[in-house]
Amino acid sequence: MKKTDYLLLKELTKVFGEGKSAFTAVDHVSLTVQEGDLVTLLGPSGCGKTTTLRMIAGFNTPTSGEVLIDDVRMNDIPPNKRPTAMVFQNYALFPHMTVFENIAYGLEIEKLPKEEIRRKVDALMHQISLDGLGNRQPRQLSGGQQQRVSLARAMILEPKVLLFDEPLSNLDAKLRMSTRLEIRKLQQRVGITSVYVTHDQEEAMTLSDKVVIMDRGTIQQIGTPSEIYSHPKNRFVADFIGKANLLEAKVVDMTNDAFSVEFSGKRITAPRWNKEIKVGDDVTVVVRPEAVIIQPKGNNDLLDGVITNAVYFGSQMLYEIQIPNKQILQIEVADPQYQPQFPQGSKVSIAFKNRSLHVLPWEQGGNV
Amino acid sequence: MNNKHSERMGDFKKMVGEPFLLVSIIVVFYLLIVFVIFPIYKVVKTSFVYDGHVSFRNYAEVLSHDYYIRPLWNSMILGLLVATIGTVIGFVFAYAITRTPMKGKTVFRLVATFPMVSPPFVVALACILLFGRAGIFKGAIGNIYGLTGLTIVEVIAYSPTAFLSLFGILQSIDPALEEAAMVCGASRGKVFRSIILPLATPGVVSAWLLVFIQSLADFGNPMILSGNFSVLSVQAYLQITGMNDLARGSTLAILLLIPTLLAFYTQKYLVSKKSFVTVTGKPTASTIKNLEWYVKLPVYVVCVFFAGVVVLFYGMVVWGSFQRLWGIDKTFTLQNYVQMWAVGKDYIRDSLIIAAIVTPICGLLSMFIAYLVTRKRFFGRGLMEFSAMLTFAVPGTVVGIGYILAFNTSSALMPVTLTGTATIIIALLIFRNLPVGIRNGIAALQQIDPSIEEASIDCGANSGTTFWRITLPMITPALFSGLANSFVRSMTAISAVIFVVSGGWNLITVAILGFVDNSQYAQAAAMSILLIAIVLIALFLMQLATDRVGKGMKVGLMEGEQS
Repeated sequence: MKKTDYLLLKELTKVFGEGKSAFTAVDHVSLTVQEGDLVTLLGPSGCGKTTTLRMIAGFNTPTSGEVLIDDVRMNDIPPNKRPTAMVFQNYALFPHMTVFENIAYGLEIEKLPKEEIRRKVDALMHQISLDGLGNRQPRQLSGGQQQRVSLARAMILEPKVLLFDEPLSNLDAKLRMSTRLEIRKLQQRVGITSVYVTHDQEEAMTLSDKVVIMDRGTIQQIGTPSEIYSHPKNRFVADFIGKANLLEAKVVDMTNDAFSVEFSGKRITAPRWNKEIKVGDDVTVVVRPEAVIIQPKGNNDLLDGVITNAVYFGSQMLYEIQIPNKQILQIEVADPQYQPQFPQGSKVSIAFKNRSLHVLPWEQGGNV
Repeated sequence: MNNKHSERMGDFKKMVGEPFLLVSIIVVFYLLIVFVIFPIYKVVKTSFVYDGHVSFRNYAEVLSHDYYIRPLWNSMILGLLVATIGTVIGFVFAYAITRTPMKGKTVFRLVATFPMVSPPFVVALACILLFGRAGIFKGAIGNIYGLTGLTIVEVIAYSPTAFLSLFGILQSIDPALEEAAMVCGASRGKVFRSIILPLATPGVVSAWLLVFIQSLADFGNPMILSGNFSVLSVQAYLQITGMNDLARGSTLAILLLIPTLLAFYTQKYLVSKKSFVTVTGKPTASTIKNLEWYVKLPVYVVCVFFAGVVVLFYGMVVWGSFQRLWGIDKTFTLQNYVQMWAVGKDYIRDSLIIAAIVTPICGLLSMFIAYLVTRKRFFGRGLMEFSAMLTFAVPGTVVGIGYILAFNTSSALMPVTLTGTATIIIALLIFRNLPVGIRNGIAALQQIDPSIEEASIDCGANSGTTFWRITLPMITPALFSGLANSFVRSMTAISAVIFVVSGGWNLITVAILGFVDNSQYAQAAAMSILLIAIVLIALFLMQLATDRVGKGMKVGLMEGEQS
């Protein structure tokens, strides 16, 4: 099946308040979501992700811009007439109804025959392992079960777009992980187009076909999880996704596919993704914690460093290394028991796994 | 079994090891027995004594005379009407403020709750000024002395109770539930019928019962407006003060007490039953912005109309207080205030002195009882809470009669005669105003992690020091709202205190009622305005104090809330 653009946000903007107290929560956000994809809106709190989601659902009216679902303009359609359904952060289960009544609620509004409702609800409850819980009250369920009821109540309507508003944030860490996988499997099996809001990058990385990074109401980058991790577009994305050591450097030479940058008097080679950066430009080099090889001090072409902290984590070793410009690099070494270990105070040389480095244009006052 | 026993013994020994705690529990119990249980017991006992023997004769006689049965029915009918209309208005107001984008919500809230800070019977006075024989809308609603007038007046006086209770309920219904229903395709009407209404039902019933109780217990309004439509509270008063028939008065009081207690405990049961209402994490108000006009219009009309009526009634009292002769001579004058002051300055002084004594004692005692019942384990804890909260449910008339019966003579419990002293008024007001403070205190304490107090005891402090140094500062907001409530109610109370006032000590409310009785409406209005002004100033000062103290408190409370 060829994927088509299914959900379209065109220059979507939301301004709260008026005059001096006006606050732009969402600023010209444009996005296309293809049929069957799960797209995450990821960003720190206050970045506009939830407001964007609520504009898709119809709870917030856009100040300007358009929401289109399957080529139909949604702006003037009230939430109860939109082909969307939503899974809420606190589940928002109707406390005075049983699990069955909760899930059946939307079908009853559609005035489906009783037997058909019963059949559909039972089938869905079976599919998401809620068998036998139909007569329970929501408060008698565990957090994970409540979350699944909330999901079922939304899915039973077979909406064109399913919306998730941080649905896992109230679960404990372990349950969050398993539920995350379950949601992903279910979403792929049913092939339902989904928009998922979260501030948890791990959640976004593991769930999504595409991740949309937002900050202060604007989209910073759209891409697959691996694109976003390995080729962040700017400092914000580099810093927000995963851990990153940022080195301020200058481009001294470049070939067709590599930069040579100077940092603290040493030369570092990095892949050339950004074609706009020229020789002589100031740049920021993104060094992921796993992109470093620590060696005993010796090689004069390499950056010197002193281990200031070494913490053993079992599956990995975390080092903090002070480099000549006083910056502290955070480095992770996998499988530490099979690697040479460096105690605190060791003088070392730092080599980079050059293919894992990423060069960004320098940003004025880039906040780290 | 054995373990349970030794556990209790352990608790007891711990308490003996803390003399302060033991003594204060005994003192509190003594006070509650003397000033709460004993008077009510006396009313019950008197109603069952005929010619010196225990019998049902009083009840048999009362229930066989139309003269006595009529007030019973009248009270019920009035209560039903007032509770129903009052709850509807309260609900509409609560809905408007929590669920619509209405402009000027603060003003509407203020107006809607204003009748709570005035003596309820001021509304009756306004009703006479508006619709009475010399009123500006004379005859517009027929004869005001009777069911119609009383219903209107009590609805104005008691809808605020329904509003406040329903406001809390509607506010705690998570808006996400409505949104969830809407994304499931529910229309606005369907959301209301299938989500809001079922969730609010226990609250609606409970608000209805509260207003019903208030209407039954109301004394001032029917005293002024009942005319030939006699009600229980007034009838019981007249039996005692007019006919000096204590037995019949007590019997009528018990007939008033029974439905009130039934309503009260039904209400308590409804509230205690695990309610569905969910506390929301992040209130979102955006759905209300897009409310349809056909929802907004009727809601706004009711709000504007009711608020208009409240303003009209109280405005009338203000206006009336400045006129030379109501309905005849509209010349502006201050003479009513001069006359009122000449007659009433002693009443005002007495009221202020008594309120100044009652307020701090009541505030601290209510917080201390709240502390004891939530934080300490001792034999009779449930009984302490029950008796301390009892006066909340018992109509003032019953309490007043009880105080007459209990304290006219000395007894083993109270070796001196209290009647005629300021002490009896003070005691009555303290124990009548305790429940609200205790309820606030308990609610505040439940928000605070007990481990904070355990830490204090761990550091070597005893229960008394812990209460004074740790608990009380943390529940300061509850203390202040308890103080405010106690002051307002001390200044505006009438139903119970009217039985215990005397030549020596008298109160403003009684004086106002006296003016009304003499048809000196202008002076009554002037005195009511003065009383309301005093109450408002006191509330304002207390709000200032709360804000000042509250700032230092914030951190502690917020940490407490998270636990």
